[in-house]
Amino acid sequence: MTPARACGLFAVALVGLAFAGLHAGGGIAEGVSVLAAGPGADQASLALFFAWWPRLATALLAGGALALAGVLMQQILRNPIAAPTTLGVASGANLALMVATLMAPGLLGAGREWVAMIGGGLSMALVFALAWRQALAPVVVVLAGLVVNLYFGALGMVLLLFHQEALKGLLIWGAGSLAQTGWGGAAFLAPRLLLGGALAWLLLRALTVLALDDASVRSLGIPLRRLRLAGLAVAVFLTASVVSTVGIIGFVGLAAPNLAYLAGARRLGQRLVWSTLLGALLLATTDLLLQRFAGVLPTLIPTGSTTAALGAPLLLWLIPRLRLGGGTAAAGGHGIGRRHPAPARLAVMIAVALAAGVVFALCLGRATGGWAWTAPFDWGVLQWRAPRVIAAAASGVMLAVAGTLIQRVTANPMASPEVLGISGGSAIALMAAIFLLPAPGGVTLVAVGTLGALAVLAALIALNHRSGLRPDRLLLSGVAVTALFDAVRGIVLAGGDPRAQRVLAWLSGSTYYVDLTGAATVAALAVVLGLASWPLVRWLELLPLGASTAQALGVAVRRARLVLLLLVAGLTACATLVVGPLSFVGLLAPHMARLLGFARARAHLAGAALCGATLMVLADWVARQLLFPQEVPAGLVASLLGGAYFMWGLRRL
Amino acid sequence: MADRPLRVTVALMLLAVIVVLAPGRGRAAPPAVATVDWTLAETLLGLGVTPLAVAQVDAYRAWVSEPRLPDSVADLGLRMQPNMERLARLAPDRILISRMFTSLTPRLERIAPVSEFALYTPDSDTWEQMLALTRRLGTLVDREAAAERLIRRTREVFADCRGRIAGRDVRPLLMVQFMDARHVRVFGENGLYQVVLDRLGLHNAWPGPTNYWGFSLVGLEALAGIDARIVVIEPFPAGVERALADNGLWQSLPSVARGDVVRLPPVWSFGALPSARRFARYLVDALDHGQPEDAH
Repeated sequence: MTPARACGLFAVALVGLAFAGLHAGGGIAEGVSVLAAGPGADQASLALFFAWWPRLATALLAGGALALAGVLMQQILRNPIAAPTTLGVASGANLALMVATLMAPGLLGAGREWVAMIGGGLSMALVFALAWRQALAPVVVVLAGLVVNLYFGALGMVLLLFHQEALKGLLIWGAGSLAQTGWGGAAFLAPRLLLGGALAWLLLRALTVLALDDASVRSLGIPLRRLRLAGLAVAVFLTASVVSTVGIIGFVGLAAPNLAYLAGARRLGQRLVWSTLLGALLLATTDLLLQRFAGVLPTLIPTGSTTAALGAPLLLWLIPRLRLGGGTAAAGGHGIGRRHPAPARLAVMIAVALAAGVVFALCLGRATGGWAWTAPFDWGVLQWRAPRVIAAAASGVMLAVAGTLIQRVTANPMASPEVLGISGGSAIALMAAIFLLPAPGGVTLVAVGTLGALAVLAALIALNHRSGLRPDRLLLSGVAVTALFDAVRGIVLAGGDPRAQRVLAWLSGSTYYVDLTGAATVAALAVVLGLASWPLVRWLELLPLGASTAQALGVAVRRARLVLLLLVAGLTACATLVVGPLSFVGLLAPHMARLLGFARARAHLAGAALCGATLMVLADWVARQLLFPQEVPAGLVASLLGGAYFMWGLRRL
Repeated sequence: MADRPLRVTVALMLLAVIVVLAPGRGRAAPPAVATVDWTLAETLLGLGVTPLAVAQVDAYRAWVSEPRLPDSVADLGLRMQPNMERLARLAPDRILISRMFTSLTPRLERIAPVSEFALYTPDSDTWEQMLALTRRLGTLVDREAAAERLIRRTREVFADCRGRIAGRDVRPLLMVQFMDARHVRVFGENGLYQVVLDRLGLHNAWPGPTNYWGFSLVGLEALAGIDARIVVIEPFPAGVERALADNGLWQSLPSVARGDVVRLPPVWSFGALPSARRFARYLVDALDHGQPEDAH
């Protein structure tokens, strides 16, 4: 297989589908003549001229631009799973559009593209500011992008929860619909793709050098930071152009560069050219295919999300074939923070803070008349608060422990239980239940969610069995499942079905739905599973040193990984069923513990568990008071609180 | 908490006084009901009953708007996550929910008896469901007569509207609501607007499928090739009206080219009888005052 042949295959499929589409839309000959001569008076030619042809052009341009941005990102960040949206462009643009819709609709009249561009640009600026002192080192850039994505995503989710009716149109944008009603979109994209391509070409020679390590690049006399800034800026510009015209389109920017590489494009120049072509063909072909199904379902099939959903299996297939750098993609992340001289004392201090937090969360709250302090044994009020505080603390502990385990096993600071795909699996199952069952009750949902988590776990083990459960591959499989989850969520929300409210409420991670029985169960599970991780600290100490070292020191690596994976899965599934899949406590708590100075495995585990519990209890309390009587989901508040702390920590690095 | 019974007693006494003093109203006070569902809230108001509490009061005022929600109504917070503490303090006699909120029932029942209503569910006639919902609600709040009156008045409005357009050759209608400049919801089978069209003897031109709530989300190009008079239900999302002015596809749709597009003020798309009645009035007013149908 050569890149040319791969593109040829797609091109044949594209032309075939295009002819079929034209045939259905009024005839091939007429379709082509419309393009040359403009529309006639009849409706068929109008639809072809104003919708069909512009849509094809836009799909080609958007696919190409995203793939080009993907190559640049992957080259500069030295990470084959970097995608155009890694740096928060899409979430920044999304947030800007939401804020503009709610607070300054006049701005949208001036042009939605510009609002989105500015939002994307600002979020990129934030990422760069966070990583500037580290000379835009790939690990730091990726982490900063991740946290900015989380942060803006959480803010957007809050706005969406409270203004679902006003923001319903933006959900379509978020799912990436390529529907066109004129040539404006294509005319906007074409010059920008050309400009981006030209800039990438200018940077080509310098960027090629980036495959070497930092020291070698510096010794060649290349200004590393400026080069990275320039390259990433081009990628972000391309992404923002696409995102602002057609919305968020996943998968293409991630997959096209990898497919081109697998097909044999190895030099950077080749990869740029072939990836761009392949991305254009991939998106346009998928879009033509999806258009054939339009009108069958009573809802829109948004190309962006659907492409990502269909692409997830392809991604799973791709992963074992990816070139992964020696060791891990993101080694060095463990240098964050200094070791605290007396971790035990620090732990006691956090525990005291946690206890105080629990008392406050139980007793202090807003009521109709204002703030009210409730006596600690007033069951009339406590019956509503106690389950939530318990569940918040317990799920905080579980996610934090799971996060610590997965980050140590994979030696990857980006790893988190959410990224592993377990929570994504149960979320997909729950969405299916809400939409396919007539009126599912609480017990049904818990059962379905557990089944979803188990199914994903089984798939992860089956797919990665051959590689001996190599952590980096595991994470990548998880990324594919998570991408599938994002895509399904996008499609579900874009449709505007009123049941989506329920999905949204649960997804945003609230302790709202917990009753006392549930909370007690979760607390018991948190204690049992948390203690189960205690005897495993030796593995956690040794596994980050790499498989061969650990093996030499007497660890049965494969078995250790399997046991730890099962434990992580159990912890994540329990916590997800309570607070939803989007809390990100599992990502943030281990890092917070590290920033505070918990370094050794045992201290790290305990510190992360305490941090997780404190963060969740605090988040749950803030969530209940902030907009009383409306409640912000605790998971979102945890993302906002933890995210802010995380950004501050990154700046100090 | 000790003062709760006292407060309830005072409130009930006040209510009793109001009821006694209210001119020409000899009946007992209805039970204090709270609801998380806007459709139930609008029907309650249609029966002359002011609910104790409703979820997302501000959003109700923005999206349902009529019947107006009095200022006395307490806000329960999000529809999907009503504030339990506040609800418990308000101590309603009954809580009304629709099918979508079933999973909340066990906990709501700790506060007050819960009644669940079905509307816009699969395989059911929306009009019959609306009537059944109105009657059942009337029974629950001791307003059977008001329920029958609401149904009768709604039928009268429909009959009056049908009379105003009788004998006229009304083109099939295409009812849409803009989501953004490129996508619309088209309303059809199962929906509130379709119910009204059926009662008025008007035809819907949308040939495609619709979901339980009676709409389908489509790109604007799906409207090309359908010869119908377009009815746009407001509100327009920000910036869309301006974008439509130079939207080639929209401008070339037959109805837009003829200039006979009808614009209607916002009506809650998933409402019950009060919304249906309002929609019927708006629609026929617009058809009356728009261009004559035979001018094409």
